[in-house]
Amino acid sequence: MNGSHDTDETGTIDEGGELDPRQAAALVEQTTIQARRQFAPPPLGAVLGAGVFFFGYGAVWWSMRDQHVYSGPAGWAIAFLYLLIVASALVSRRFLARATTGVGGRARRQMAGMGAAVAAAGIGAWVVQGALRYLGVSFKIVYGVYGPTVPLIALAAAAAGFAAAQEKWPELGLAIAIIAIASTSTFFGPLGAWGLTGLGCGIALLVYAAVLTVWLRRPPSVQR
Amino acid sequence: MTADALDPLIHVPARLRILVTLAALNDGDTLSFTRLQNMLDLTPGNLITHLRKLEDADYLSTQKTGNGVASLTSVTLTHRGRAALDSYTKALRDLLAGI
Repeated sequence: MNGSHDTDETGTIDEGGELDPRQAAALVEQTTIQARRQFAPPPLGAVLGAGVFFFGYGAVWWSMRDQHVYSGPAGWAIAFLYLLIVASALVSRRFLARATTGVGGRARRQMAGMGAAVAAAGIGAWVVQGALRYLGVSFKIVYGVYGPTVPLIALAAAAAGFAAAQEKWPELGLAIAIIAIASTSTFFGPLGAWGLTGLGCGIALLVYAAVLTVWLRRPPSVQR
Repeated sequence: MTADALDPLIHVPARLRILVTLAALNDGDTLSFTRLQNMLDLTPGNLITHLRKLEDADYLSTQKTGNGVASLTSVTLTHRGRAALDSYTKALRDLLAGI
């Protein structure tokens, strides 16, 4: 909670005049839309995420596109990908902080729980990646196929569980789409894993941003 | 159906906006007094008075933590308040359908 006002002061009441039913319905719709916009992170966050997939994963794919024998992505491409991930995470965190300022109780606890679950899923997937390399699995599989897909699948699976528990259907749809795209792309080797995952997840995030934009603008059905 | 079917406690612009704003949060979430005041653009005194009326009807509950200048107040919609708002919007819909 970020409140700073004491509520001990007494006030005079302003009832705000008479409301006819149409005015009341309009007020409900207008207030609902305003509240949704205030409490939900803006769709721009999803657009930024799409940019990470298009340009970050795209840069890695670009740096490997002419390799007949796998030798891994260029250093600049990996650095660019991580730069985009960090920048996107910082901006998204700012959006989330703005949306959740002053919101407490169950939402905070759920967010902390989700953060722990997603972090555990990601760390687990990355530890297995290290173990696979330690056990002698090739660079092509460990960094070319597993690296861009399996940690992403683990993160999305954890997020899907929370979205389902909270009945957040667009978020659940997005997480399932990411899992489907990333897992399918593994059939196409390192180039497919980076290229198809980048393209497919970028498109999925843009679709999610569009759905979110429509939902934020759609009034509740009071006057229909 | 007439406008009398609308809950008179909710059928006031400021209180309707308070309940609709809190209903946009998930069940069990709280909202700080400051953020609610900023969102609704009401004076502190006016908001407090409306909150007390809604709290007296058990439509919402307030929690206060800390003392003096550092005290923080948060507000949450009760199950009864959410149900009352649902009944109000249903009555409003029925009323508008009959016009």
